[in-house]
Amino acid sequence: MKSSFKTPLITLLLIISTAFVAKAQDTRIQMTSLDHLAAKATETVDVNVDERLMKLAARLFSDKDEDERQIKKLVEGLKGIYVKSFQFENEGQYIPADLEPIRAQLRGAGWTRLVNVTSKKEGNVEVYLQFAGEMVNGLAVLHTDDKELTVVNIVGPVDLDKLAQLEGQMGIPDLGIESPKAKKKTNEQ
Amino acid sequence: MKRIATIALLLVASMPVVHAKGDDFNSVVKMIEDFYRVKHVGIPFLAKAGMKVATTAARIKGGAARRFAEAGSIKLAVFENQEFNGNFAKFRSSLNQALNDSWMPLIQTVAAAGEEQTYIFLRNAGDKTNVLVITIDQRDATVVQVTLSAKNLALLLKDPEGTGKAITEEATLIDQE
Repeated sequence: MKSSFKTPLITLLLIISTAFVAKAQDTRIQMTSLDHLAAKATETVDVNVDERLMKLAARLFSDKDEDERQIKKLVEGLKGIYVKSFQFENEGQYIPADLEPIRAQLRGAGWTRLVNVTSKKEGNVEVYLQFAGEMVNGLAVLHTDDKELTVVNIVGPVDLDKLAQLEGQMGIPDLGIESPKAKKKTNEQ
Repeated sequence: MKRIATIALLLVASMPVVHAKGDDFNSVVKMIEDFYRVKHVGIPFLAKAGMKVATTAARIKGGAARRFAEAGSIKLAVFENQEFNGNFAKFRSSLNQALNDSWMPLIQTVAAAGEEQTYIFLRNAGDKTNVLVITIDQRDATVVQVTLSAKNLALLLKDPEGTGKAITEEATLIDQE
């Protein structure tokens, strides 16, 4: 009798834990579907700053040193930074369908596109945030141009200000993103 | 006698672990040799050269050059004037698979359809970090392993590409000396 209770309980626990793991991994965008583009690209950049490295950085960096303090502050709470970027010689070497697996993930639960974000860069920039209630759990940026394609995914609590600070650092390209706040300031001047 | 035997056994038991961890550099060099059918030029004295060599590197650069590698930590293998023809995607996949257990990939760049490849991996080494930088172009390649302090790791994280290049330059500059 005891064991007949045990089996459903274990099954239930397994289902619950799997659901939690799936939820935790939701903000990590799977980008392997883009790997085939590397063969056509003139330049490919692949950045993986995973949770292990984030923890290592947080543990090693001291508050006394300016460089270390700056990086420590930026990576605090983050669980990963992932970038894939491709540059092509000619137009049409990637097609919108190549991005569809990424877009499909961004249509998933919790992801919201920020419509009022623009970029100084040429091409089209889309910024997505994943919310869990009031909290932001992750961010994704798609930058598409005729000869360029970049996907940036930051896992963890991040906002546009933090993204702006991270641009050009830790392998994140300069996306020239202008947050609505920054734009408003410029308009007032 | 019993105590000596126990110590000997403990030493033998601990050897394979140390050997396996330290051998990743050699494995990568061997992997490049096998994949591209090339041969590296070994520079065995570098690992022992340490501080003196690093100071010399700074002097060559005009004295103001930043020193990245911790003294005595540089391992370098150079491949010169050889053909690096091969499927870079396959090489990249094999490399990542081989280092996946103990190293964290930081940045990987491929330019001109595989003609220039750069890979940077990191590994925890107590209060410091091991960095493995692999650069391959059409005719030459270098594999550099160094130990970085937390401060220099911060610089690497801020600018992985630039600092990775500087680490390789520092190591090969020492080679010229």
